[in-house]
Amino acid sequence: MKVDTMEAEKIIDSLNAKFPDTISDSQIESEKRISAYAEAGSIVEICRYLKDELQFDHLSSETAVDLILKDEIEVVYHLSSFGQPLVLKLKARLPRNNPEIESITSVYWDANWYEREAYELFGVQYRNHPNLRNLVLPDELLGDWPLRKDYEDFPQKTAKNLV
Amino acid sequence: MDTNIGPDEMLIHMGPHHIAQPGPFRLNVKLKGETVQDSDVEMGFIHKGIEKILESKTYLQGIPVVDRACYLAALTNEEAFVGCVEKLAGIEPTERSQYIRVIVEELSRIQSHLLGYGEYTEFIGFMTMFFYPMTVREKILDLLEMTTGARITHSYLRFGGVRDDLPEGFEAKCKEAFALLRRGLEEWGELMKSDTIYRERTVGVGVLTPDTAKEMGVTGPPLRATGVDFDIRKDEPYLVYDDLDFKVCTETAGDVYARIWVRVAEIYESMYIIEQALDQMPSGPLFPENLPYDRRAPVMRVPEGEVFHRVEDPRGEMGMYMVSDGSDKPYRVKIRGPVFPTMQAMPPLIKDSQLADVVAIVGSLDPCVSEADR
Repeated sequence: MKVDTMEAEKIIDSLNAKFPDTISDSQIESEKRISAYAEAGSIVEICRYLKDELQFDHLSSETAVDLILKDEIEVVYHLSSFGQPLVLKLKARLPRNNPEIESITSVYWDANWYEREAYELFGVQYRNHPNLRNLVLPDELLGDWPLRKDYEDFPQKTAKNLV
Repeated sequence: MDTNIGPDEMLIHMGPHHIAQPGPFRLNVKLKGETVQDSDVEMGFIHKGIEKILESKTYLQGIPVVDRACYLAALTNEEAFVGCVEKLAGIEPTERSQYIRVIVEELSRIQSHLLGYGEYTEFIGFMTMFFYPMTVREKILDLLEMTTGARITHSYLRFGGVRDDLPEGFEAKCKEAFALLRRGLEEWGELMKSDTIYRERTVGVGVLTPDTAKEMGVTGPPLRATGVDFDIRKDEPYLVYDDLDFKVCTETAGDVYARIWVRVAEIYESMYIIEQALDQMPSGPLFPENLPYDRRAPVMRVPEGEVFHRVEDPRGEMGMYMVSDGSDKPYRVKIRGPVFPTMQAMPPLIKDSQLADVVAIVGSLDPCVSEADR
């Protein structure tokens, strides 16, 4: 059974009303996509509210993006629902030298592996994660944070073999 | 998992190479007698670093790379990647190429399900059954080969269209293969339904309830076998799925048996979709006229932005999150494959089951380890 469509505007209003200080830049990107920034400190609270009250019962993906030019690491959550097709992109900004955020495994069970992956590839430290260790990388690569952008030649705009 | 074992317990490492595994991963199982007490999945044996590779390739070069994420769902992977770029660059593929994409992607779904079906029966010891679907699968692969030029990794989709039109005689060959497949499915269905040993091994084994499946983030056939009608093709239609008539195949039992039947029903449904698409397909150009880039442009600068595009993979929800910084290469691509959460759900699913059933349960999830590892 499909749940009644929750409209994007209603969700944004409800989020803004409930978390006036911790949710910012919320906007409708397209028909089925909305996005918002969350304060890193209250991410669990916000996710809990989204899951229990606003029917976002499915964690589509969780990952990180290294924004080296802004000296930030963004943690990106894509929350969606089995009942309707709206996807909420929730982001939290973390300082690059100490990316630390609360784990949301207590809300979304399957965040476990996503967080382990973001940890080994970007070095995001998840507090209160049940088992924060490497998932796909071998032990000796841990600490290299391979998907971070601080490698030589960055930003190298064009593939060398083409131009 | 706590690796300390008690006096009457035993730790068994299944894999990374095990006859009954669809790919290299290691399942550490703690047993008491023959009952699974606890388990733990180890991955990374075929970690390819595809997300990192994509960051150093131009957009066009990325297409063959995403093919390799899961070789059984190459076309749907491409659809997710190409769809992301199209959304970022504001390209709308022409109607004809959208229909062609639907056709090849459904063919790809059929061949993937046929392998899953055959491979699965092999895992539970029904060896004969493996070769029946594989014979017909070869016919489907022939169709894909004559269209895309490759059996497994196609590199067929392009930004705004497809590489080539459908070849001559495609429709006739399609009919031939589908007649064979329909007859085969009926026969195999009889074979499996009437086999008491097969039923003993699958009915009521590895049961997932709708709520636990949702909680664990499982998508695709394992979720639909519990009765949840979640299908991206219906919920968030891409391409021309909106104009096509098809139903979301569900079962209610949620056990191993139901998962296999969902796949079989989906094969029928995919054939139906392809037949409709062949009937409805308009003629016309493959690429839109106002394409902002040359069709083969090796260097295309995609506008800054980010997008999350989801498609329905044979195994569930495949989403890609792409960030562009305005250069000719993606700044970051996150591949959210359906197998990653499904594999994570394995340990709770096999808890308290018999060791002999572990293979049946794991096989019925049809995990493509290559994609989970990426």
